[in-house]
Amino acid sequence: MKKLLNLFKKDPARGLERDMFIQRMVFWIFLFPALFSFFMVQIIPFSIGLYYSFTNWSATAQPSIDWVGFKNYIDAFKDFKFLYATMITSIYTVLNIISVNVVAFALAMLATSKLKYRNIYRAGFFLPNVIGGIILGYIWQFIFNQFVPGLATVTGIGALSKTLLGDSKTAIIALVIVSTWQYAGYVMMIYVAALQNVPAELLEAAQIDGANAWQRFRAITIPMVMPAFTITMFLTLVNSFKQFDVNVSLTNGGPSTMFMGQAIKGTTLLAMHIAETSSVGLNTAQAQAKAIVFFLVLVTFSLIQVVVTKRREVEL
Amino acid sequence: MKKLLVLLSMFMVLISMTACAPKKEQIVITWKQNKPEIDAALQAYAAAYEAKTGVKVIVTSCGGSSCTLGDVLKADYAAGTMPDIFPIDGPESYNEWKAIIADLTGSDWVAQTDVAYKDGDKVVGFPVAIEGWGMAYNADLLTQAGIDPKTLTSYDGYVTALAILESKKAELGIDSVVSMAAGPGMYWVTAHHNFNSLLSNGLPYGSKDVANALLDGTIDATRLSEYANWVNLLFTYADQTVLTTGNYDSQVGAFLNQKSVFLHQGNWVDGNLKDATFDMAFAPHGSSKAVTDGIFVSAPAWYVVNKDSKNLEAVKDFLSDMVFTTEGQDYIVNKAGMIPAFKNITLQPAGQLSKSVQAWAAAGKIYSWNQYLFTGDFRDSTLGPIYDQLAQKAVTVEEFTTLLHDALATYATTH
Repeated sequence: MKKLLNLFKKDPARGLERDMFIQRMVFWIFLFPALFSFFMVQIIPFSIGLYYSFTNWSATAQPSIDWVGFKNYIDAFKDFKFLYATMITSIYTVLNIISVNVVAFALAMLATSKLKYRNIYRAGFFLPNVIGGIILGYIWQFIFNQFVPGLATVTGIGALSKTLLGDSKTAIIALVIVSTWQYAGYVMMIYVAALQNVPAELLEAAQIDGANAWQRFRAITIPMVMPAFTITMFLTLVNSFKQFDVNVSLTNGGPSTMFMGQAIKGTTLLAMHIAETSSVGLNTAQAQAKAIVFFLVLVTFSLIQVVVTKRREVEL
Repeated sequence: MKKLLVLLSMFMVLISMTACAPKKEQIVITWKQNKPEIDAALQAYAAAYEAKTGVKVIVTSCGGSSCTLGDVLKADYAAGTMPDIFPIDGPESYNEWKAIIADLTGSDWVAQTDVAYKDGDKVVGFPVAIEGWGMAYNADLLTQAGIDPKTLTSYDGYVTALAILESKKAELGIDSVVSMAAGPGMYWVTAHHNFNSLLSNGLPYGSKDVANALLDGTIDATRLSEYANWVNLLFTYADQTVLTTGNYDSQVGAFLNQKSVFLHQGNWVDGNLKDATFDMAFAPHGSSKAVTDGIFVSAPAWYVVNKDSKNLEAVKDFLSDMVFTTEGQDYIVNKAGMIPAFKNITLQPAGQLSKSVQAWAAAGKIYSWNQYLFTGDFRDSTLGPIYDQLAQKAVTVEEFTTLLHDALATYATTH
């Protein structure tokens, strides 16, 4: 303390040291709110959750919380519903990443071309993203169950009469359609920003050299927007894995299908399965263990993805 | 500036004075309940109770598809704000909260009910209401088709009646004979309510014999196969769209709009059928060859009292008030539209199906609810998808029977 006070005595020789100290203090003071909330809402709950995953914690009035070691993790991996949820979530994620990115990129190409009213299009494509997933799910449930079959009766196109939500395989497609509709606009904005940063002189030079539109797109545009791909792939990967709200409101985890000889809810993705382990299965500690596994899987996949896509970025 | 300072200091003095002033602490009861549809009625009753006694009752509702009561209670418990009164819906939730549930044995309302929740001889739960389900039928359409509802007491009775109705679909103006739902989000209709036919239909009231045998791993193959045929019969005559992807509104809506003759639901649909222009009542389930002349009636939930409540006596007084005062009775029956679980209440609910439940109960033709002897997880995550498979016609009735058989056998070995 005394040392600290000495520092603030008027001593021209220590002026630099003083400035450094103040700078450091300012740095920490400004960082404090972010650090504090990060600790309070991320680090601490995560640590408690990690601890609970090794106990018999039930979140109810129980006499004591006992240490059970890896029991919850072993039980989780024995649960065929958990395995199914992991599998179906992976399938959904692959389909969704492709669908969202292809649609978003196409929209971005459109919205950066010399179209009339292109700002209106941009806003329009972005709009679904501001609607909450729960509401969106109910709206699309109505569209799939009522509107599309209704269209079939009016137009006489038999293929439309069957709702996508009636079978677990098509219900996954329905989930992909809705989340693409919801998320593509957001991802589009990232692509729009990247496409606008592609130097016009490069494209022009290529054109003069006789490159056609496809060649210019493949050899210049794509490599130049690679950094955007890193971001959008990461965002769509994480978002697809964590899909919960549309899942609950659109398909409610159903309809059922057969897996390993048993009937099972066919579109219950991982996040929803974990929530159900807790609120329907009343097994909070096991749900916690599943959530930790979920976290590890997600971290691994996103790290791999970031490393792989980073390698393909080009520096100008 | 000076003026402002003076004003500010005066304000401060005023605040500190009021803060120090001795005041009588108001008794506050917190109540979490699980029926959003009766929330308005409850709030009004709570306000009237406060005006009468000075005791404030804070009611929060959590239920339906938007709020999972179990999760909310756990959050409350963790936060140290566990409500004074909260509902349980059977042994599973009772066991979760057993450690903090007060013993209500000896309360004055206990003598007035047959359906209090008991742990051994200890009375712990105040029955919210009486509910019942069976096959709700449109009496007008049955008459038009020349079918006497009294014949609907067995599988064969239904086979005949449903076939006649199916042949007269155009004449009656209906889309399907039965309004049934088995899709996602509706597993409670199949795996909770319909499943109880297997467990309780035809047994003396209160008997758990079939359920206990199943829990021991003894499966009565004949009973199971007759039951499976009953499920298949209902699904066969149901509208395929409503059956596989319909929600509560579309299922009840079909019955309300006279697009179906039967509705597989309970008397809680009365609230949705206020605009109905036809007569209706309940018929028994036909889940066996033998005649089963009765419907399933019980208390669906019980209010329990937090024994750590600061105002335990006030809470108990409040529960008594509901049973013994005209305001309380008016709330239960007229405002909330529920069938009272207490014998001293003579008011009658207005809903046609609620009246039908009361009539069956008065005649003593009732069967128990035993589905709660199986965990909610088993019913929702294991049985529900099996019914769904049959509804989608992805499995035959034989495969359905095998799936049920295997699920029950596995359950017996793991629980």
